[in-house]
Amino acid sequence: MSNAAARTLRAHPLALQLVILAGFALFPLAGDDYLVVELTQYLVYGIFAMGLSLVWGYAGILCFGHAVFFGLGAYVMALVSKGMVPGIGGALASGWAAMALAVAVVALFAVLLGYFLFYGRLSGPYLGIVTLAISVIAERVAIKWYYIGGYNGLTGIPPLSLGGREIIDIVPMYYLIASFAVGVYLLCRRIVASPFGTIVAAVRDNEDRAEFFGYNTAYYKIVIFAVGAAVAGLAGALFAVVTEFVSPTMIGFGMSTEVLIWVALGGKEVLLASFLGALLVRAMESFLSDVLTYYWFLILGLFFVACVMFFPRGVFGRLLAARPMATGAKAGGAGET
Amino acid sequence: MWDIGIQLLHSLNYILVLVLVAMGLVIIFGLMRVINMAHGEFFLLGAYTVVLTSQRGLGFWPGLVLAPVIVGLVGMVIEWAVIRHLYHRLLDSILATWGISIAIKQLIIIFFGPAGLMIKPPLPQSVHILGLVYPVYRLFIMGVSVAVIALTFYLFQRTDFGLGARAVIANRDMAAALGINTRRMNRVTFTFGSALAGLAGAVMAPLMSCDPQMGLGFFIPAFLSILVGGAGALSGVLVGGAVVGGGDSLISFLFSPVTAQIVVFSLAIVLIRIRPQGLVGGRRHE
Repeated sequence: MSNAAARTLRAHPLALQLVILAGFALFPLAGDDYLVVELTQYLVYGIFAMGLSLVWGYAGILCFGHAVFFGLGAYVMALVSKGMVPGIGGALASGWAAMALAVAVVALFAVLLGYFLFYGRLSGPYLGIVTLAISVIAERVAIKWYYIGGYNGLTGIPPLSLGGREIIDIVPMYYLIASFAVGVYLLCRRIVASPFGTIVAAVRDNEDRAEFFGYNTAYYKIVIFAVGAAVAGLAGALFAVVTEFVSPTMIGFGMSTEVLIWVALGGKEVLLASFLGALLVRAMESFLSDVLTYYWFLILGLFFVACVMFFPRGVFGRLLAARPMATGAKAGGAGET
Repeated sequence: MWDIGIQLLHSLNYILVLVLVAMGLVIIFGLMRVINMAHGEFFLLGAYTVVLTSQRGLGFWPGLVLAPVIVGLVGMVIEWAVIRHLYHRLLDSILATWGISIAIKQLIIIFFGPAGLMIKPPLPQSVHILGLVYPVYRLFIMGVSVAVIALTFYLFQRTDFGLGARAVIANRDMAAALGINTRRMNRVTFTFGSALAGLAGAVMAPLMSCDPQMGLGFFIPAFLSILVGGAGALSGVLVGGAVVGGGDSLISFLFSPVTAQIVVFSLAIVLIRIRPQGLVGGRRHE
């Protein structure tokens, strides 16, 4: 893209977002069912990536185990909607209630975990290692626990229904997931642009200074951690619906690695950039992994290293950063300077 | 009763190798403030060096000698190409080494395939000690590990190099002002730490099925050992390695390896939360 066009788009962030939205809205009209099915899945990954972007990009919490929340959401969704949780049946076991429950359980888990970690003054690199260990623990538990399907996972997750009709067809499913993506995006943007979001950014940029200003930094970290986890949990629940399947790989180390790469390559400080990063990497993977086989992941790994070294803001980060630094500069001196 | 004796020796064996891996990590972290996420893959490279020499008919022993050399060189190149550009960006150095770990793992898959590979045991005999029948090779591993751990302690506590290294750990700028070449110190440390991981991988290769995921299986417990023991002092690694490695072997023996991993990792996290400075570490100023 030429510099002039990029500048025009950056000057009009709303126009850019509308262009992207229109692209997604019109996509199914292209009529290729296979691509629509693929894109539906990528959208779910995109939502997942936005969850990590909140935690990592906006709050500066390096989380190497974000798939724990994704997988937990998927498992709760699967277990509840299949009626496998004792004491929860009937209307409570319907798809939507199961989804709400999945998000709530994940958020609660994240609050407890955050309370445990952030009040313990674990930060930065240590937190990364601890979350990595947690994702390995979660994967092992999921493999070992026979009731939740063990190594094979769970299949046959019932579809969601809307207005008495089940959403099974490809195109309605696509629009359902796309509306979730738009909703999550708008909500997250609202959060990061709010006074709360400004304080979170201040904690990220200089935790000590934020503390001197009288903010309980652990509290803010816990809340944003829980929000980011809940978004990942929602993505997990949607993934279970879309693929009708959950397995231990979704909760573990591999998935945590992937989401980290998407977000880093897209641009962790910008929600939309992280979202597009997930879509871009997944789309390239599905096209290139046939051609490149094992070399694809090698190239991705090296590209990731190059990205960390030379473009820490990601592929889309610079382009999509609406009014760069604006939120930080207004933060009464506590933001980026 | 005899089972318990054998089990104790097995635990000791695992603890010593874990300490070897953790030691490489902790000197790199202590001196350079870099968390080397590719450390598990250095272990992997060491193991596959031995696999390669075995496949080529050279046998195990040349591989054992080559592994630390090759992995040390790989470490040196990575330090030169990537790490030295990221010294003041701690989180970025974690991510970059993470990317390197993915690339190395994938290279191993490309050259050797994703399946597990076994090599012929180099010392198949057993000996009688203290009334137990125990494989000679495992005793050999313990001997090598103890020797290398002792050597590392000697190097860091008793030599001029070690004095310089500890000066850099204590205060990098002051050390540089006193004429210590900190850049060279970084390169040497990273090379040495990598070589330790390579050696650990090589000695463990005959005991396990070598597959591309085995690095992570050592990286996480090694890192947890450091955090449990305390990253401040070299001796913390010994305590942390004993707690994590001993706990893992004990629970593996009583229940299963998977349960052991779940329980030990969880307990380690709780321990780190309660004592962030580690079991050994005193007050640590950042």
